[in-house]
Amino acid sequence: MRVMGVGGGARENAIAWKIGLSDHKPEIFWIAENRNPGIHKICKDNQGELRIGRTTDPKTIVRSARGWGIDMVVVGPEEPGFQGIPDALEKEGIQCIGASQELSVIERSKADLRRLQWENNLPGKLLFRTFKNAREASDYIRKNIETQPWLQNIVIKPARQSGGKGVKLIEDRKIYLHDEKERFKEAYFDSLQASMSAYSDIEDKILVEEKAWGPEYSLQCFTDGKAVLGTPLVQDNKSAHESDSGPETGGMGSISGPDMTLPFITMEEYDKSLKIVEGIVEAIQKKTGKSYHGMVGGQMMLTENEGPTVIEMYSRLGDPEALNMLALLKTDIIDVFQAIVERRLSKLKLEFTNEDAVVVKVVAPNGYPEKRDKAKGHPVQVFDTNIKRNGCYLFWGSADLQEDGQVVTGGSRLLALMAMDHTLPPASARIEKTASSVQLTDGWGLYHRSDIGTEQLLAKRQNTAERVRRLYKHREEQGILGTRMDWVPKIGRVDPSQLLLQEMHGPGKA
Amino acid sequence: MPGLIGFYTFGEGRENWDASQIIHYGLSALQGRGQESISLATIGPGNTLHTLGGKGGVEEFFQKNKTSIPKGFIGIGQTSSYLDDYLVHVKTPYELVLALDGKTDLHEDRGEATKLFARQLSQLLHSEKEPLKATSMLINKIGGGYSFVALTHKQELVTGRNPLGVKPLETGSVGFDIGAVASETCALDVMGIDHTGPVETGEVIMFTPEDIRGNAPTTDRGNFCSYEYVYLARLDSNVNTLSVARVRNRVGRELAKAHPSKGDVVIGVPETALPIANGYSQESGIPQEPGFMRTGENVRAALKPTQKERLVGVQLKLNPVKSAFEDRDVVLVDDSVVRGNTLQNTVLNLKRDGARQVHVRIGSPALVSPCPYGVEIPPRDELISGNLDEKELANNVGADSISFMTVEELQHAIGLPRQNLCMRCFEKGGTTR
Repeated sequence: MRVMGVGGGARENAIAWKIGLSDHKPEIFWIAENRNPGIHKICKDNQGELRIGRTTDPKTIVRSARGWGIDMVVVGPEEPGFQGIPDALEKEGIQCIGASQELSVIERSKADLRRLQWENNLPGKLLFRTFKNAREASDYIRKNIETQPWLQNIVIKPARQSGGKGVKLIEDRKIYLHDEKERFKEAYFDSLQASMSAYSDIEDKILVEEKAWGPEYSLQCFTDGKAVLGTPLVQDNKSAHESDSGPETGGMGSISGPDMTLPFITMEEYDKSLKIVEGIVEAIQKKTGKSYHGMVGGQMMLTENEGPTVIEMYSRLGDPEALNMLALLKTDIIDVFQAIVERRLSKLKLEFTNEDAVVVKVVAPNGYPEKRDKAKGHPVQVFDTNIKRNGCYLFWGSADLQEDGQVVTGGSRLLALMAMDHTLPPASARIEKTASSVQLTDGWGLYHRSDIGTEQLLAKRQNTAERVRRLYKHREEQGILGTRMDWVPKIGRVDPSQLLLQEMHGPGKA
Repeated sequence: MPGLIGFYTFGEGRENWDASQIIHYGLSALQGRGQESISLATIGPGNTLHTLGGKGGVEEFFQKNKTSIPKGFIGIGQTSSYLDDYLVHVKTPYELVLALDGKTDLHEDRGEATKLFARQLSQLLHSEKEPLKATSMLINKIGGGYSFVALTHKQELVTGRNPLGVKPLETGSVGFDIGAVASETCALDVMGIDHTGPVETGEVIMFTPEDIRGNAPTTDRGNFCSYEYVYLARLDSNVNTLSVARVRNRVGRELAKAHPSKGDVVIGVPETALPIANGYSQESGIPQEPGFMRTGENVRAALKPTQKERLVGVQLKLNPVKSAFEDRDVVLVDDSVVRGNTLQNTVLNLKRDGARQVHVRIGSPALVSPCPYGVEIPPRDELISGNLDEKELANNVGADSISFMTVEELQHAIGLPRQNLCMRCFEKGGTTR
């Protein structure tokens, strides 16, 4: 059997690792844009090869797959899905694990995802509005901030996945700082408009969402379009630096275990989250008429208005969340993939070990994420024996193996270190013991977050979770979970959900 | 809502008094009734009225106008929660300046109504042989609810409280030399003047260089504003002979009896509700702890003229002391709920910062009607309690429970007969008596 993977990050390194452990002994081939040293070795050890090519170009992918005589392709990152790689492969009769182009809209367009939730009245949604330009966004907010108080505390996002443009939280809760917040907000609208004007594939450029707070977690699932099977919850840490400070990254490390849920999320919340993801898969299949087969994930948050709530969706596995899940997966991954392509996932016994907690910490070169040019091109040295001695695993990410055998940094997240133990803190400690095993020989610095998986950070998560749980449980008892009702002096009762639905169905807007 | 001061001097050497300097401190004490507009007027030997008005607060006003503060040994002053609300100056036929708390029924607009009242007073002082009797008749004739103090170009100080007696007014004196009136006794205390008793309902007092004369007050005890006890008056004042501090303590105790709640801690919303919370704590046995700290000056947020200023005031006033309610069930005590934004902000902050349950107890009945006598209670469509029931309100502000006192409980706590208390703002129909 010949399996081919697409993508060159730590997530793909972990997928390749897991495929390499399969009893089916598949031959492993890969296409990535960087010579990922980990994937390179796995391919070599399993009678295959890693080829450098554009992972978003259907022709390149299809040609290689045909040339190699591939039976099954696994797509790692989201961008190949957005560009229709799975569609192109299936057209050629090659089985593919990965959301097709139309289905991947749940990740590609954050606005479409919200519309899908509201149109189908799915639980776990947030109030939102979309705008074509900055002027429209600021005018709408200025005009409605009194009658729709949720507009005071918002999250601003590019409506479409857009390179480099991040998420801004504007909490306009202190009215004496209102002018400051407004100035910042409107300047960001302008900058979003400028960067989004390059995309002509969507009309909406700016997404404004109700700001929520609470613990975040990812629920990654396998689906064959009929069954949606949940995997253990994982929590990623998006801030670059300790104690959740610093700029937004792709993810600096993640925790999971020691069972299906996290120490601060209840099983009831897990079940609700799974229902939410199922609902979205069902709705997008109904809307597009396509069958979803591959991976899907909810980036979730417990919120006071809704309980488990979708922040964003993944049309693939998370990076680094995939590492945790794959480490815990007991079922042969090729069996899982085959069950997906043969649409018999519901009959599969998907098993995970429930004895281990997993901690993953990402190591990144200084400069990431704001100055990636400076973070790029530094020679890397790794002391493998030290890593193994501490029972840790290394997965390569943004790294490039050069002709002479030297690995250099690619500018993004260099690699991920993973450790397992009975609980999270000792696993975290193992990684700390071995973090110095990775160095840059030119003296450029590396950093990682030492706090991930520690008692202190877990206590903080637990605390946040308890606070928000109290609030949403209270709303649940009152029978008002998932509803929003404001009372505005001079106007009276205002239901922002109704206003949103009216604007969605009315002319223009949302 | 204004606070009023009248300062009068008699006898030899009276020209040595600088009335403005004394009124300054009286107005400072009354700033709880509003501090947007400050004005004062004096008269000295020249029989010329000197007036000055400007933006508050009192300290800023006196600092800014150091050199132009009117000189004189008799004077009146007013500090008001309304913007551009100054003494009314009538030049003819009988020159006078007038300060008025409350509202006469001569006009829809409060300011216009006060001007019309001042003109009628001027006319009457000009033409009537017995001005005291005539003024007494005037306040019986002109309806509404008000207290006033006026200063004439003939060194007369005329002050009175209409028979309804909604608005407070108190008198004081020092030896044979000084007589004074003020909206609240705290102002007399601060000016170093001994409190001698309230101006009775329907009473008019005239201070002239020759004597002090008063009419016979109406026998009716009046219809006192209950909101004075709940919120308006200062804790160290007596209103209608009742100690405000005592009343607020009783309100808290009554609240605890009639509206008990489980809780680990009682927290009052500063400033007014702190003594109410104290009474609640004493009665229930649940300890009271300070729950909020103020940033910047103490302002009466609810009396600020714009919604934005009210919110700024409240937000700067209510930074939570987190350890007071972290992982505790909190009984949150406030004096009243107007638009509901403050309460919503406060409850959500407590919950987000870790309070387990928040039970809100309000030391007054739900505000459901505006005040016809000029207290800043907004129109009905801005009163959250006029529009939402207790359950909806609790959900809206995020509280586990909320309950208000009944009209009867508040009356009982104040301790005056029902017919002597104005509770219009707590009643949907809005009847006076």
